[in-house]
Amino acid sequence: MLLFSLGLCLAGCTTVAPWERGLLAKPHMALEPNHAQHALRGHAYGSREAAAGGDSAAGGGCGCY
Amino acid sequence: MASPALRALTVAALALPGLLPSPVRAEGDEFGFQYGRYEESGGPVSRFRSTGNSIHVDSLQASGSTRFFDRLKVQVNYSQDTWSGATPITTAPASAVNHIDNISGASVFWDVSRLAHFDPAKGVGTFLDAKTFRPGMTHETVQVMASASPETRKQGDLKLSYEWNEAALDIGGGNSIERDYNSRFFNLGGRLDFNQKLTSLTLGLSYTDSIIDSQRFSQRVISTPVLADTPIESRRLFPDWSLGVHDSRQDMALNLGLTQVLDKKSLLAAGFSYSNASGYQSNPYKESLFFAPLLAPQLLSPNPDTGLLSSLVFSQYDHRPQGRDQFTWSGHYVRHFDTVDGALHLDYRFFHDNWGINAHTFEAAWGQPFADGWIVTPKMRYYSQSAADFFRPYYVLDQTLAFDDYVNILLNGDRSKLKFPAHFSSDHRLSAFGTISGGLTINKQFAKGVNLEAGIEYYTHAGDFKLGGGGIGGYADFDYYLINAALRVDLSSSFTMAGGHGMHSMHGRHEHDEHSGHSAHGGHAPAGVMFDHMLDKADGFMVGYRYMYSLQDGDMLHGAHSTGDAAIVHNACGGGCSIAPQEMAMHMHMLDLMYAPTDWLNLMLMPQFMDMDMTLRRLQGGIDNGSGGHHHGGGSFGHETGGVGDTGMYALFKLYDAPGHHVHMSLGLSAPTGSVNRKIDGGEFIHYGMQLGSGTWDFKPSLTYTGQLERWSWGGQLSGTKRMEDRNESGFAFGDIFQTTAWGSYKLTNWLAASVRGVYTAQGKIDGRYIGPHGASGPMDFPASYGGQYWDMGFGLNATVPDGRLKGNHFGVEWLQPVKDDVHGYQLERDGALSATWGMAF
Repeated sequence: MLLFSLGLCLAGCTTVAPWERGLLAKPHMALEPNHAQHALRGHAYGSREAAAGGDSAAGGGCGCY
Repeated sequence: MASPALRALTVAALALPGLLPSPVRAEGDEFGFQYGRYEESGGPVSRFRSTGNSIHVDSLQASGSTRFFDRLKVQVNYSQDTWSGATPITTAPASAVNHIDNISGASVFWDVSRLAHFDPAKGVGTFLDAKTFRPGMTHETVQVMASASPETRKQGDLKLSYEWNEAALDIGGGNSIERDYNSRFFNLGGRLDFNQKLTSLTLGLSYTDSIIDSQRFSQRVISTPVLADTPIESRRLFPDWSLGVHDSRQDMALNLGLTQVLDKKSLLAAGFSYSNASGYQSNPYKESLFFAPLLAPQLLSPNPDTGLLSSLVFSQYDHRPQGRDQFTWSGHYVRHFDTVDGALHLDYRFFHDNWGINAHTFEAAWGQPFADGWIVTPKMRYYSQSAADFFRPYYVLDQTLAFDDYVNILLNGDRSKLKFPAHFSSDHRLSAFGTISGGLTINKQFAKGVNLEAGIEYYTHAGDFKLGGGGIGGYADFDYYLINAALRVDLSSSFTMAGGHGMHSMHGRHEHDEHSGHSAHGGHAPAGVMFDHMLDKADGFMVGYRYMYSLQDGDMLHGAHSTGDAAIVHNACGGGCSIAPQEMAMHMHMLDLMYAPTDWLNLMLMPQFMDMDMTLRRLQGGIDNGSGGHHHGGGSFGHETGGVGDTGMYALFKLYDAPGHHVHMSLGLSAPTGSVNRKIDGGEFIHYGMQLGSGTWDFKPSLTYTGQLERWSWGGQLSGTKRMEDRNESGFAFGDIFQTTAWGSYKLTNWLAASVRGVYTAQGKIDGRYIGPHGASGPMDFPASYGGQYWDMGFGLNATVPDGRLKGNHFGVEWLQPVKDDVHGYQLERDGALSATWGMAF
C-alpha cells in the first residue's frame, strides 16, 4: 500500500508548488485536527475494544476503566 | 482500599500502553488544557439484573510546548483519569447465580452456586422466583456486576523533537501510575520529507514496561473468601488461588507511515503498525465459569420433572496467552471541497492479532468552517471485531461427571479428572461485537491565538452490530457518551496568530508589545494569592493555570497539641475510633480565565479539577465499632477520589489606583459543580474532606491592596468564604472561611522576584452531617473534627519572560510552610502546600 501510494504520487502529483498548498494547510485539512480529543476518544475505544493501538496515541498505563 | 471491582477493568490485555509516537512538525509554543467526561450506561433490562453499567470517568489533560533555538521543541504532557461505577465482572447463566447484582460495600457482591440447576447441553436452567417463590426456567445469560470506589491514574510524559528542513527526529518517554499498574514507556520517532515535501515517511518505535501489582477481590465468584487465613480446605477447588498478582508485561511497537499530497486539495496517509506484547496479559480480577454436566440421579440430575441435568460449577481467574502479536493497517484520505470550504476525512483500519481477533474500523468526518473562526465537525464511526479464539461467556467442560466424581471433587478436593482449556477469558471485550458512534465537535479560533473546543460523542455497543452477524448476546450491550472541552493557547500568538500555522504569521511583530500588557505594576503577588491583580486595558484577556498541592502527614492534633492514639480512640468518635488518617494529599488544577470589559471591571471564571488520596492506619487499642464499617481490610489501606471541583465566577472592581498604590475588590460565587456524593465501593459516603466540592453555593469576597516602589513590591489581602446554604444535598455544609495575608517581594533581576508572606486562616466546623450510610470509624468522619485556625509562612519566586517569543508569560511558585495549627477536634497535622502558576495576558 505504501509503495502503491508512492508510485501513485511520483506518477502524477509532483506538481503542487509550495504556494499552491494553501488549502492543504487549513486547520480542518490536518490529518488530526484535534489532537487532545483524538487521544481522549482513542483511550475510550482502547478500553472497550480489542483492536487498540495502530494509532499514534502515545501513553502508558492502562486506565482502561 | 483499592477497589477491586473497578480494577477488574483496569489492567487487562486490551488497552495497549505506550504505543507509537507521532512525529509531528514542531509548531511552536502552545499551552493546552482539556477536560473530558465519559459516562457509560445501558445494560439490558432483565429480571435477573437490576444494575446497569455506570462507569464514569473524569479526565484532565494539560500540555505545554516550547521551542529552543528555533528547531528544538520540548513538549510536556500531564493527564489523569478518575473513574468509578458499576461494571461487569463475569458472565453466567442466570439460573446459576444467586445474587446477580452488586451489593454495596465489599461484602458479597455475587454468589454462583457450586451445584447449579443449569443443563449446559440444553442451555436451560431452573430458578426460583424471588417474589413468588415459584420455579421457572430460563435460557438467559447475564453479566454479574460489581461496583467500587473511585480510582485514579496519572501520567506524565516528555517529548523532545528536533526539526531539520526536510526531516525530524523525536524522542520521548513517560510514566503512568495507578494503584495496581505502573508503566514506563519510551519512544523514538523520525520523519523524512522528500519530493518537495509532498511525501513524508514516518517511523516510530516504542517500548513499554509495566508492573502489575494487584490485590484480588475478597471473594471468589463461587463464594469463598480470598483472605490470608482462608482454610486450605476451602482453597482446594481453586488451583489458581492467590491473594494478588505481582507480574510484569512488556510491549514493543513499530509504526510506519506515509503521507502523500495528491493534489492541491487532497492528501492520503497510509500506515502499518506491529506490536508485540509479552508477559502478563490477563485481567487479574475477572473470573471465568466452567460448567460440567452431572449425571447423578441421587442428586436429582436429571430432574425427574423437567429432564434437565444439573452441573458442577468451577471458577478460575482470567487466563490468557502470555504473548500477543498485533498488526494494524490503516488508510486516511482527506479532500477539500472549494464550494463550501469543507474537508472530508475518510479513514479505514484493519486489525489482526494472533488471538484470532480481526477488526475493521470505518470513520468519516466533515470539517466545515464558518465565519469568525468557527469550525464544526460531525463524525461517524463504525467498528466491528471477531472474538478471540479462547473467549467464551462461560465454558462447558467436555465431560460428564458421575455421582462418584461429585463426591471425590467436592469432598476430597480432587480436580485431576477435570479438563480445563489451556486459555480462557470471559471478558466481553474479547467477544464478537460491533459499535456505532457519532459525534460533533465545535472549534472557535479567537484572533489572539486562543482556540476553544467542545465535543460530544455517543457510542453504542451491540453484539448484533458485528459485521456479518454472529456477535455476542444482547446481555453485553451498553452505550456511553463522551464529552470534552478544550482550550489551546498559542503562547507566541502575536507572531503566529492562527494556532501556529505559519501562513498566518504575517500579522506582525509590531503588535507584540501591546499584547503583553498586564497590570501587575511590575510585581506579581506570590503564587498562592488569588485575585492579586487586574487587567488594566479594556478588552484585555488573560489565560492562566494554577496548580496547588497540599500534604498532611504529621502528628494527630487535638487543638494545638499532638495527641496519642488512646485519646483519639476514646474521645474523637463518640462510640470509639478504630482508624485515623496517616496521610492526606490533595492536588488541585485550576484554569484562570480573565476578561476585562472595561478598565475598572474584570470578570473571572475559574473551573477546578481535584484529586485526593488518603492513607489510613489502625489505631492502637482501637475499637471496632462495626458501624457500617467499610472494609479497610487487606494490606493497602486508603481511598482515592477525583474529578471536577467547584467553579468560581468573580467580578473584580478597581477601587483606587495611583502611582505605586492599587486597591481592588472581588465579589464572587462558587458554584457547587464538585460532587459531594462520592462513596466507597458504591455504598457509604467517603470521608467529608474527600468530597470534591462544598456542595453549597458560596459567596467569596476579597479586598486587595498592592504597592510598589522601585524594586520592592508589597501587598495585603482579606478574603472570605460564606456558605449561602445550611446544607448541601448530602446533608452538611463546610465551615465558613476567613483569611488574611500580607507579603513583600523584591526584584532580584529584571525577570525574577522573590517573596515572603504571612497567612492566617480560620475555618468553622462542618455543620450538619451526612444523610445516608456513612462509616464513622475515625475522626475524619466527624463534623466536629474539621476547621480550625492556621498560621503559615510563604516563600515564593515569580518569573516573567522579559523578551523573545514568550515575552509576557509569567510563572510563579510558592511553598507555604505551616507555623502553627489549632484545630477543631482531632486532625492530622499539615506538612505544607505548594502553589505553581502560569499566566499570560493578551
